[in-house]
Amino acid sequence: MRQAGAYSGVMYWKTGPHSLPLARIKKIMKKSGEEVKMISGEAPIVFSKACELFIEELTKRSWMIAMQSKKRMLHKEDVASAILATDVFDFLIGLIFNETATPAATGDLGESETISVGC
Amino acid sequence: MADAPASPGGGSHESGEQSPRSNVREQDRFLPIANISRIMKKALPANGKIAKDAKETVQECVSEFISFITSEASDKCQREKRKTINGDDLLWAMATLGFEDYIDPLKTYLTKYRETEGDTKGSAKGGDGSAKKEAHPTPIPQMAHQGSFSQGVNYASSQSQAQHLMVPMQGTD
Repeated sequence: MRQAGAYSGVMYWKTGPHSLPLARIKKIMKKSGEEVKMISGEAPIVFSKACELFIEELTKRSWMIAMQSKKRMLHKEDVASAILATDVFDFLIGLIFNETATPAATGDLGESETISVGC
Repeated sequence: MADAPASPGGGSHESGEQSPRSNVREQDRFLPIANISRIMKKALPANGKIAKDAKETVQECVSEFISFITSEASDKCQREKRKTINGDDLLWAMATLGFEDYIDPLKTYLTKYRETEGDTKGSAKGGDGSAKKEAHPTPIPQMAHQGSFSQGVNYASSQSQAQHLMVPMQGTD
């Protein structure tokens, strides 16, 4: 392992024992695009808190939907419904639909293939 | 250990379809599920339970959230010809993309961090550490300092204050 160099400032600051790992946040940030090259030390700190707020909000909204159907357990469908019902979560719709749409898409493909073979 | 090539051409999005949770990649793409689960539980009443698929969905959503905000902040940096994404850029991106409610708690958090950071580093810091200044093509006044986000609001109110300074007193015995 390398010594804590550029990151030492981050390490001194106590983010709390249960907070999100800053190095992992930084990694995900870098994967966001090729132009993302340099990230200031405080950027992952901002995200560690922002992600907490985001998770809390998404969980609370999902829970309200689970409660409406009188459930005591939160499921993926509740999270998906919360995303669809909330404007600021629109950027997540693709993620939700990509997973659920996959089996239907494969079915379509199979059909069109048999047609072309018949000709 | 050999580094994996940094995803050529940015094709990492589509390639996840046939096996969305391949074990090696998961470490790079997601935050630990235990941490996510802990934060989710905190948001629910004591009797609330969370299914595994819900945790995994939220885990994916968080990574998407980080990318979404980072891309917007990164665009801003490119427009302003800066190379480093800082905390204020992220705050700006969140406000732009509809997460205004997060700004106040985040500013408080960031101020606390900056204070602590100043205390611990203090005299030991020689100025060439993490807060390395870039050579800006155009001078940006105190961009890295805290007030930058609310500048627009502040200067408007300070103008109106100045007008109150010189109010001539009427002669009252």
